[in-house]
Amino acid sequence: MSTTSSSTTGTGRMASWGVDRSVVILLVASVVVLAGAALESPGVLSVNYLLQQLQIAAIVGILATGAMLVILLGQIDLSVPLTITGTAILATSLAGSGNPTLAFIAIPAGLAGGLLIGAVNGLGVAIFRIPAMVWTLAVNAMLLGITVFYTSGAKPAGAPPSLMVFLARERTVGIPNAFLLWLVVGALVLFMLRRTVFGNYIYALGQSPRALFLAGAPVERIIVGVFALAGLLSSLGGLLLVGYANQAYQGMGDSYLMPVIAAVVLGGTSIFGGSGNYSGTFMGAIFITLLASVLSLMQVPDALRQMVFGGIILAMLLIDRARRTP
Amino acid sequence: MTSLVEFSAVSKTYGGIPALTDVSLTIEAGAVHAILGENGAGKSTLMKLLAGVITPNGGTIKVDGVERHFATPRDATALGIVCMFQELSLMPHLTVRDNLLLGDGGPMLRLIRGAAVKAVRASLDSVGGSHIGLSSLVSELPLADRQLVEIAKAIHRRPRLLILDEATAALTAERVETVFAVIRKLRDEGCAILFISHRMYEIDAVADRVSVFRNGRHVETFAAGTRNRDEMIGLMVGQPLTELFPPRVAGPAMSVAPLLSGRGLSWERGLDAVDFDVRPGEIIGLGGLDGQGQQYLMHAVFGVLKGVQGTLTLDGKPLGGVTPRRAKAPGVDIALVPEDRKTEGLILDMSIGENLSLAGLSRKPYGLTKAAGPADVAVARLTERLEIKLKSLDDPVKVLSGGNQQKVVLAKWLALSPRCLLLMDPTRGIDVRTKAQIYRLLQELAGEGLAIILQSTDYEELIHLCHRIYVFYRGRVVREMSGDEVTPDALIAAALNAHSNTAST
Repeated sequence: MSTTSSSTTGTGRMASWGVDRSVVILLVASVVVLAGAALESPGVLSVNYLLQQLQIAAIVGILATGAMLVILLGQIDLSVPLTITGTAILATSLAGSGNPTLAFIAIPAGLAGGLLIGAVNGLGVAIFRIPAMVWTLAVNAMLLGITVFYTSGAKPAGAPPSLMVFLARERTVGIPNAFLLWLVVGALVLFMLRRTVFGNYIYALGQSPRALFLAGAPVERIIVGVFALAGLLSSLGGLLLVGYANQAYQGMGDSYLMPVIAAVVLGGTSIFGGSGNYSGTFMGAIFITLLASVLSLMQVPDALRQMVFGGIILAMLLIDRARRTP
Repeated sequence: MTSLVEFSAVSKTYGGIPALTDVSLTIEAGAVHAILGENGAGKSTLMKLLAGVITPNGGTIKVDGVERHFATPRDATALGIVCMFQELSLMPHLTVRDNLLLGDGGPMLRLIRGAAVKAVRASLDSVGGSHIGLSSLVSELPLADRQLVEIAKAIHRRPRLLILDEATAALTAERVETVFAVIRKLRDEGCAILFISHRMYEIDAVADRVSVFRNGRHVETFAAGTRNRDEMIGLMVGQPLTELFPPRVAGPAMSVAPLLSGRGLSWERGLDAVDFDVRPGEIIGLGGLDGQGQQYLMHAVFGVLKGVQGTLTLDGKPLGGVTPRRAKAPGVDIALVPEDRKTEGLILDMSIGENLSLAGLSRKPYGLTKAAGPADVAVARLTERLEIKLKSLDDPVKVLSGGNQQKVVLAKWLALSPRCLLLMDPTRGIDVRTKAQIYRLLQELAGEGLAIILQSTDYEELIHLCHRIYVFYRGRVVREMSGDEVTPDALIAAALNAHSNTAST
């Protein structure tokens, strides 16, 4: 895990230690999971297996980045599954349409779709003041309806954009491109959170929307902006998934909601908003990916894996709550 | 008469700030006991202790001679102590009948029988609510009727000690008389009544004994009628702390053009055609009883409220579509120090530095936090000028004392060099030394040409600092006072007279 050191250079925002505590815990937990799995099948310690995990972690990590931004606001985005599926279907349809112009705009269109879905989420929460839990769930349901209507329930026709295949499956100097892309996205988000006014506003809004509003900050714009950004990142994750799986299909995003939220809360981001480090989310995504991979290696059924993720979230929520009420 | 409740040396502090100090008081059965005091004198704390909402830090409370520790309101209710709080506690989406039955203390699981409904009806009739239908929804009733239902609910529980906290504030004089008849009847049946009201004439009309509270201390208890109103007001206000306030500085001449004016400012839920002017260098005060619209005016000016009618004028030009963001924008330069420091003024879990820079963030070049904006220089200067005591800017702001926290809020806004400063009760819960510092600062700032609007629940503050005072009642400005007119007695009388005048019309 030598690559993780790059993300832990930013010191914990709320942490008194040099490095965020959850990062250390997750690092240790990852090693334990790997060591445990190595007793069963030593193959997990091969460089190739580990690099493959980073490749998948990149997808989870980019999705978790969006989810983290929303959770920092004290909100939640439950439309992640269908944002992934919807924008994936949109991009593959355009890329496989045979029309070179449409194929060319496949990726921008997919990303724009994510941005738009996110903006709709944000408008509902910021302007109409509907709880995000309900609004984004409804948006998710609408998107499900749209995709089912569009594909008539069948496997959607189309082809993955070749750039996404390159990004998701190829490697550059031995390192998966997806992981490199994640590093770039992560660095940009880290910079945004730590060095820009917008980033400060995100934390402040999560802590106290009222105080921030009374400090004269554009609260509505911040909320819409964060949700839009999260939608964009969800669609980017969805497009990577398209490249990785070489196709888009109905239900492709369904199994990502739980692990993504689990990665964020495991990384120490408070579900109540206002505190959390990107380094935590980074390690959270890697740990969750390793855990899922090792569980499937041990032939644990998917149902049980979902229960594990759900259990992790519940446990983290209780820990978070306990920390808040000393 | 027998004593029902006895307080001995009871104290209550909130986070180190005393709300009640060493209070000893006896409440007797079969008497109406009025509690008088300014806002913040400790009346509500006293009520909450009795109702079991909070527990004391020291001293003992005896009921029927037995020492009691109320852990929850249920414990108090079990002893027959029924409290009617100032804030209405009815369920708006339930019917009148359901609300009254909710409070009657019977078992939770039972059938509602005709007899119970009849009893509810009788209780409601007895307080003069015979015109109120049992099946009407509380949310559809006018405020005065809701208050009657509230009183009926309290009476329906057959209390031994009934606490009425501003229970009649929304009632007209005629209705008040009906309620008083009920109170007297309860008293004659041996019930003790603790009566809190700001209306002097109500206290004259119904009280048997009067206790005056000031700054969390019990000042004096006497039989009703042995002191006149002036003496009672004198006891409420106490001796002015002259050394606390810097000598008054003359305000700008009335001929100076106002910086900010409001005309006909109205808001559906609590502002009624308010006019005001504030000139550069002038400190104006918003006085009156608590919650008469002063806060709404502040919020209206700062653009917090939606749907405010009327016009605001800045520099003689109309100022429309105000939001906090626009209010603080360069060229408008209005700043607001909000009422609740802990939830509105500060973000407690964030660092002192982050809180200090919060309002100035929007002026950072390129939206980058590391880029030094003009506000950062000002923050550093203000930290010194306000003598904010801190170890490190990276400490969370919650480790600071209340006074230093308030200075952080002030510095955060002053860093933007505002032209008009709105202050909502800026010295609430702050130690005397810091209060004095803030007072001096405000006068200096006014001297430098800042226009200041000060809303305060502290009469002395308004009297000693303000050049002009607008006295509010029910969302309207009922009196404007300036110069020598402003004395403690006159100010309180204005607030109270306003009350009685309007209530009897």
